[in-house]
Amino acid sequence: MSASPTPRRLGNAILAAAMTLPCLHNAQADSPPEQGQISYRYLDYRESQPDADRISVKAHALALSAPLNESWSLDASLTTDTVSGASPAWWTKNLNTMHDERNAGDITLTHYLPHDTVGVNASLSRENDYESRSLSLSGSHSSDDKNITWHYGVGGSADHITSMGLDEDKQVINFLLGVTRVVSTKDIIQANLTYSSGHGYYSDPYKLADNRPRNRHQTALLTRWNHHLEELGHTIHLNYRYYRDDWGVQAHTLGAEYVVPLNEGWTLTPSLRLHTQGKADFYVDEVNFPSADTYHSQDQRLSALGALTLGIKLSKQISDLWSGDVKLERYEQRGSWYLGGDGSPDLAAFRATFLQFGLTRKF
Amino acid sequence: MNLQTWQFRFTALGGSCEIRICTERKEDAMAQTEAAISEIDRIEKKFSRYREDSFISRINQGAGQGEWFECDAETCWLLDYADTLYTHSDGLFDITSGVLRRAWNFREARLPNADAIAALLPLIGWRQVEREGARVRLPQSGMEIDLGGFGKEYATDNAANLLSRAGIRHGYVNLGGDIHVMGPQPDGQPWLIGIQNPRQKGEIIATIPLTQGGLATSGDYEKFFEIDDQRYCHVLHPRTGYPVSHWRSISVMAPLTIAAGSYSTIAMLKERQAPAFLEQTGLDFLAIDHTGNMLRPG
Repeated sequence: MSASPTPRRLGNAILAAAMTLPCLHNAQADSPPEQGQISYRYLDYRESQPDADRISVKAHALALSAPLNESWSLDASLTTDTVSGASPAWWTKNLNTMHDERNAGDITLTHYLPHDTVGVNASLSRENDYESRSLSLSGSHSSDDKNITWHYGVGGSADHITSMGLDEDKQVINFLLGVTRVVSTKDIIQANLTYSSGHGYYSDPYKLADNRPRNRHQTALLTRWNHHLEELGHTIHLNYRYYRDDWGVQAHTLGAEYVVPLNEGWTLTPSLRLHTQGKADFYVDEVNFPSADTYHSQDQRLSALGALTLGIKLSKQISDLWSGDVKLERYEQRGSWYLGGDGSPDLAAFRATFLQFGLTRKF
Repeated sequence: MNLQTWQFRFTALGGSCEIRICTERKEDAMAQTEAAISEIDRIEKKFSRYREDSFISRINQGAGQGEWFECDAETCWLLDYADTLYTHSDGLFDITSGVLRRAWNFREARLPNADAIAALLPLIGWRQVEREGARVRLPQSGMEIDLGGFGKEYATDNAANLLSRAGIRHGYVNLGGDIHVMGPQPDGQPWLIGIQNPRQKGEIIATIPLTQGGLATSGDYEKFFEIDDQRYCHVLHPRTGYPVSHWRSISVMAPLTIAAGSYSTIAMLKERQAPAFLEQTGLDFLAIDHTGNMLRPG
């Protein structure tokens, strides 16, 4: 007998060392994208309920992403949208017409280090009666083999509301902590925890008798799993999001996308999303004019509901530099689809159609 | 999808090489192969001791002069891997043993002088190599390190990985008999990899079906000479300074070619203990002993 450890352990130590081969783990420093790109998107969004059309939005967005040098990159976007149509003032009744235009822009500067990225983002959004500014700092840190990446972020926003003669403010601070793990060449999993704390004017001035708390604390946990089916060459994206806030709303969202690469640069991605949420504590089901100092709302968005989204996206790599995509989504929401009980009664079903067209050019 | 198999032959790392991959269009296969060959070329330029300007040659030229050489992450990994091989082969796999080539010249059938070999032995010893973080230096003038013991296998894995990442699902890379299979033939059938007859150049002695992973062979037939029916091959024992003689060739299959090559080389150096060593790794192997008997696991 030899005095050394058993050969089985010796042999496996060599294989274990070989399996850390750098090329298997993509051990490159974090670096800015090698190419810049500019993209244009057009979005057409229409809401309706069985007896009426509601809000519609037409938006044009231009986005730029450009490496500045070996370790810096810049991202910027401009969006302009037109909102028009009608919005209910009283549950899903008393539709009041409205029209607004919004312009928004944001800019992000990212610095790349061997294991880290650090970014700072500023944004501004303006419409007739609402202005919002925000600033955020975000970063990531990767393990030596790049198989684990931690993400973190902190941001704040300040809104000023002047609708209906108001002069109100709202401030929100938010935090993000996340981790992405490359489990194998086929599987990537991610978890993101976000928390935000806001203070200020949360009510909807266009609704009759809407009085909401001036504070809101929101927590959400998002988990994702991307799995590549090697034999077929297809990829499944699954995600689940849990949300709760101190207004009593709790929600669960389950999403799935199936990415099918076709011939000649085409990719088809059908998707499905299921959502269910409980109502806010102060959502009221029936006419019961409360006193001015109790919270109450009949906003459909705070009711107990269930929703289903079906989508399909078709994208095409046109050439090395050009790519384009079209995406269509249909959303439907009903009180009776709430999974935790009966759901909020007497609301019209709410539907929305979302059509997006995008064109991207690398440079 | 209508996949076709394309084959490219080229010379690299001092041997004949082959890349066989399946794509729809020939242009794609050519572009991918070109990228894989330039990766192999990059590795050769950076690590070959035959190139005076390689990083390894610079470390060797600085032996005994006190100068430190700062290694990048890739070189550090290779040196760490060499350390693992040394530790787990009881010192048999030693990347400092290349100095023995100064005594052994396989181009002519002449036994070196025993004193010449004895004089080289003090220059061999991985534990003498000084490393501090990412820095490395050789303490004695005349010492050298040589990554040739697994450089070809490393290049094979890197080239195969590059092709896999580019979406190649079917094919293999073969660098002078060190093979990495990315995936089976398009119909799911394994590739049939021929093992060379160590006594009959160009003849196949066995065929091994492979759908994925690495296969490497060490043998006594690449560089050798014979005197009085005694074969002296290029696989040299780091402690005696003389060639090993128990095995004609040993082929090992492992998930990565670099691991397969390391096991086959260590097994050659372990001589009589090779079967026990290989059996206990749990890997598949094919060994041909000095009488021509073929040995497989179990």
